Amino acid sequence: MAQRAVWLISHEPGTPLCGTVRFSRRYPTVEKRAKVFNGTSYVPIPEDGPFLKALFFELRLLDDDKDFVESRDSCSHINKTSVYGLLVGGGELWPVVAFLKNNMIYACVPLVEQTLSPRPPLISISGISQSFELLFGIQDFLHLGQKNETELNTKLNQLPDLLLQACPFGTLLDANLQNSLDSINFASVTHPQKQPAWKVGTYKGKPQVSISITEKVKSMQYDKQDIADTWQVVGAVTCKCDLEGIMPNVTISLSLPTNGSPLQDILVHPCVTSLDSAILTSSSIDAMDDSAFSGPYKFPFTPPLESFNLCYYTSQVPVPPILGFYQMKEEEIQVKITVNLKLHESVKNNFEFCEARIPFYNRGPVTHVEYKVSFGQLEVFRERSLLIWIIGQKFPKSMEISLSGTVTFGAKSHEKQPFDEICIGGTAYLKLHFKILDYTLTGCYADQHSVQVFASGKPKISTHRKLISSDYYIWNSKAPAPITYGSLLL
Amino acid sequence: MGPPSRETWAQRLGAFRASPSAFMAGPEGEDLGRDLLSELRSEKLSEQTKVSLLVLSLEYPAQLWPDAAAAEAAATSLLDTLVLLPPRPSALRRSLLLAATTALAAGDALGPTSGASRRLLPLLLGLASGRDLGRGFGPASEQRPLQATACECLRELESCKPGLLGGYLGLLRSLLGQEGPVQPLSLLLALALRNTLVIQARARAGLQGLLVAGDTPVTGGPWNWTLAEDGDAHLQPQAPSWPAAEEEACGLAVLEPSPEEARELRAAVAQLLDTSYLLTPVAQAQLLWLLGWALRGLRGQPPVLFKPQLVRLLGTAQLTLLHAVLALKAAFGEALFTAQDEALLLRRLTLAAQHPALPLPAHLFYLHCLLNFPENWPLGPTGEETAPLLLGPRLCRGLLPSLLHDPSALLAHLHLLCLLCAEDEEKEEKGQDWCPQHYLGELLAGLRQRAALHGGPRALATLCFQASYLVVHCLATQPTVLTPLTHGLAQLYRARPALAPHFVDLLDRVGPELGEPLRAALRQEVVSRPGRDEALRWHLQILSKVADGKAPSATLGFLRAAAAHCSDWGLQQALLQVCRALLRAGVAEGLADLLQAMARQLEDPDGRDHARLYYILLAHLAGPKLGVALGPSLAAPALTSSLVAENQGFAAVLMVQEAPAPMRLSVGPRRAAGPVPVLQLQVEVLEPLYSVELRFRVEGQLYAPLGAVHVPCLLPGRPCRPLHLPLRPRRPAPARLAVRALFATPAGLTCHAHLPPLLVNFADLFLPFPRAPDGDNQGFFEELWDSCLPEGAESRLWCPLGPQGLEALVACHLEPFVVVAQPPTSYHVAIRLPPASRLLLRLEAAQGDGVPVALRTDDWAVLPLAGDYLRGLSAAV
Repeated sequence: MAQRAVWLISHEPGTPLCGTVRFSRRYPTVEKRAKVFNGTSYVPIPEDGPFLKALFFELRLLDDDKDFVESRDSCSHINKTSVYGLLVGGGELWPVVAFLKNNMIYACVPLVEQTLSPRPPLISISGISQSFELLFGIQDFLHLGQKNETELNTKLNQLPDLLLQACPFGTLLDANLQNSLDSINFASVTHPQKQPAWKVGTYKGKPQVSISITEKVKSMQYDKQDIADTWQVVGAVTCKCDLEGIMPNVTISLSLPTNGSPLQDILVHPCVTSLDSAILTSSSIDAMDDSAFSGPYKFPFTPPLESFNLCYYTSQVPVPPILGFYQMKEEEIQVKITVNLKLHESVKNNFEFCEARIPFYNRGPVTHVEYKVSFGQLEVFRERSLLIWIIGQKFPKSMEISLSGTVTFGAKSHEKQPFDEICIGGTAYLKLHFKILDYTLTGCYADQHSVQVFASGKPKISTHRKLISSDYYIWNSKAPAPITYGSLLL
Repeated sequence: MGPPSRETWAQRLGAFRASPSAFMAGPEGEDLGRDLLSELRSEKLSEQTKVSLLVLSLEYPAQLWPDAAAAEAAATSLLDTLVLLPPRPSALRRSLLLAATTALAAGDALGPTSGASRRLLPLLLGLASGRDLGRGFGPASEQRPLQATACECLRELESCKPGLLGGYLGLLRSLLGQEGPVQPLSLLLALALRNTLVIQARARAGLQGLLVAGDTPVTGGPWNWTLAEDGDAHLQPQAPSWPAAEEEACGLAVLEPSPEEARELRAAVAQLLDTSYLLTPVAQAQLLWLLGWALRGLRGQPPVLFKPQLVRLLGTAQLTLLHAVLALKAAFGEALFTAQDEALLLRRLTLAAQHPALPLPAHLFYLHCLLNFPENWPLGPTGEETAPLLLGPRLCRGLLPSLLHDPSALLAHLHLLCLLCAEDEEKEEKGQDWCPQHYLGELLAGLRQRAALHGGPRALATLCFQASYLVVHCLATQPTVLTPLTHGLAQLYRARPALAPHFVDLLDRVGPELGEPLRAALRQEVVSRPGRDEALRWHLQILSKVADGKAPSATLGFLRAAAAHCSDWGLQQALLQVCRALLRAGVAEGLADLLQAMARQLEDPDGRDHARLYYILLAHLAGPKLGVALGPSLAAPALTSSLVAENQGFAAVLMVQEAPAPMRLSVGPRRAAGPVPVLQLQVEVLEPLYSVELRFRVEGQLYAPLGAVHVPCLLPGRPCRPLHLPLRPRRPAPARLAVRALFATPAGLTCHAHLPPLLVNFADLFLPFPRAPDGDNQGFFEELWDSCLPEGAESRLWCPLGPQGLEALVACHLEPFVVVAQPPTSYHVAIRLPPASRLLLRLEAAQGDGVPVALRTDDWAVLPLAGDYLRGLSAAV
């Protein structure tokens, strides 16, 4: 269970190599073992240059995808995971765990403690999940609060030292690199016995506990007879516990109002010490009925020092917060659009912001727009072929607003206008972006009085809630739209 | 030149990292390792720079110190540097320990004979035990981190040399119980324990109290190499780490500890598991894998110890933890997971595979785990991805593919959908609300629509074809899926002929279930178009793949129309490719006209030549031979140039190939008659041969050149009448005939083979004299007898007789040549020896064991041959 090498490669389309290796680390003692374990199927770790080239080819990140290349485009070359085989130096390097996130490619090669031919299933390779954790850990570290290229560079420069702590010999000790950074700084503290490895020091100061619940609501609305609209709430509960003592115990209870929607699919942080079986089994897979467990949801845990996600959940609320339809009809070089949005009466009508983005893909730039809005204002981004309907902080009393208009397009030029593989012909969508503070759609809240802390001093407890939209689509009901299985009314 | 400064080092390291191999091949390469070691003691460099040098040595020890001796020297130097550090806090101590460990482990220098190993190991163990090693090892504040580092170093050494810490298990256990950092000690103990159990099980030895030897002296005594040096202990490809594999196949023998050992072991494992919540999630996962592995081969160690951990683990979203639980599931099956537990685990896995809070790579990995789920009672064949029995349509609802998915996500979910469709068909019980086939059809249609987009990225087309391939692979027997798929693909071709290479690739890889109808549909799609088309080159590429003997007139019609527009070389070659495919398919009618027309009309001389060549081949070669001539060349499958392949095909067919002998040839019974001696040859063949020609060459020019023997057809197992080979000796002497066979194989190739030589014996040349015209045989013989002298020679010899006597001997060997016989005592024999010699024998007054023979010949050279012949007769009876 170890890693042979790890890379971070920035994706830079348009440059000769299409990317640069920003960081790499090899583990020669693990490589030594790989050579013995893999036997004749052993392929050595290549140098950075050839690795980049082979990986970019496989991930289709090179700019040369004009021609059919069998080793990449053959119909039998099927990849169903983020694990790849790369052709390097006459052999195939496998398994290479790699994914692209925020223009950075995270890659590593785990040790496989057996021969590679025939390929063992990934589930049997202990190093695979470790690869993912390492890469996710690096990704979290790089993107936590990182705003610009300079900050990214600073963090990249810290990586060699951090990995020396968190993964000195290729075996990952802690995926939380921030923790490793702290441990370098905490090095002089004398550790008492039974100090958890995931908590490198102890907090000194005023005790406080902060709990914030963020719900994201996503939706697919079609306004069609034979296709059901779908929506789902995904919640994340983030905690920061500043408490003295080595192992303070905390229990947080999440509660629902009487008409609240039960929480389902609950995943907890590893620091949670025990879990009610009702929480473990409450799942969106099952049909909903009145007997569904509706809380309170108790989470006893020993907090780490840093802010962490105590749990994630999903929920199926009875109605989407905003229901709408979008009709778009093509008439030669122009399209006619009609949009209608209605805020559900149960939803708090006080947004931090609310807007509807209406993109037009695979067309030329917008040359002319004629429109009428019942509320808010419309912004036109001609070159990007995009309309943004800014609704603002509140829906009007009627809770219902509409937009209608005609959009005219110029000639299409491939370089500038966005291409989209979904929005072909009349297939089009508008996407809602909104945020409501101090509100959750499920009604879920953490009652300050229900938070139990077993530590010295009475902590100050603060709670926060917010609802934000995420992937909130309303599809053109006058054309085909992509559906998921759940939308099929069978 | 002074010592390199910080800047020069930064430059040097940068150049090295850019391409280590290029740097090491350059002028600076040789000194890098040495410079690095000496610079570590330089007082001019900052600690940070020194750490960066050590990090380099952690990554590239094999380049810096390429052999064991250099690695040993480097480790020694690093340890010296460590000892010389001033007693204040320093980040170098930790890095130096890591570097020395890496140098020894990666450089193959670790072992009882290595001085550096003898220094490093006790040092590490001392640090790991938290003992005070004196001021040289830094201030007390640094002890704790160094203790953890020492554990990590020991763990790495144990990984590379299993059994290294086998003698120190008791010590590690007691350290874990006392103080010490929990995580490094837990992981070290778990690994050492696992390795010890594996080694002892292989050696069929028990634990021998290793777990309780708590008072092992840390220093003083030499390192205990017993287990690590054991022959079986060396690092070797271990058992597949997935525990579901057969235990015997893993080489993991079953260890049966004594009750006391079992108790100690249980206590050690419980101790590790009880404090496991103090470990980071990734370390917990490692611990579970190691302990699961360790306990798997043990009898009488129920895995219930793990049970208290499971509920806690199942609740998390942590990938490594869930993966470790799956490993335990695979290792212990029903012993740890009841049917209800299994169902719960499956539900958690299903949930994790679609949970919106988790990233896509995790979803895909969980999906993979679902299709490889270690069921308690698997039904399907092992090694194939299947949907677990408990994973019904209801659980899968959220796991079905959607056009909004990324390519790999779409393929992963599509695979699951296909497996469910396959199951659905098997079950034949279609619920009201479950119609996966219909959904599958819609999805594929959506993919095709995207692939059809002109100017769209190739990835979209590739995805569409990969999805189609996956569907055919899983659902080849379902016409309800394949028919619309075929239809849809043909439509896709109509919309975007530029995808022709994808179609050709798909046809190459799918079985006949889709291949046959798709070929027909594509052919129809192409030939129904006018020959003039922007996409002509794609049409020709498709046709060369799908043209066969069916509906040739439409194909030829299309080609005739197309020929007029094939202005450039590439198009003409594509056109010729199609003709070639038709030739191979045996299409003759109409094709000859087309080829002739092309041979006249094509603009490019190369194209005209080829058309003419094909025409000639069509006119002159029979069907099967033509097929072989134009078939794919076996000689060079990797070459993509059709011309080269084609030429090689011709070369193979139109030239004679050397082949191993496919037949056996032997000389049959003699046939002394006729004007010349004739060998009767018997043939046996191992495979059908056609147009066989046997060629003979006489060694030493004893005979006139021999004519070839022809046989139209030879089949194995079917007797062939003897072949007659007339001999024309220049001298009456035995000879060796070299034999070659030329023949055509059923594959249409013409081959030749060397056969073992044939021997022509002296007696094979014997011919009888014509009968005396007047019937006076005695007079005739006497006349011959007398005529031999004086030019000839005379001799007498004793011809031994076998038990049958003279009469049998004559009947067997000399019958055709007897002129005068007075059985059983006297025979006069006259033998004609071509070209113009005679041999006369008088066998008279036979006695019990022999007969005196008087012989005369007109050719003295015959005498010794005749002598040998006669003496050999009795043996040959």
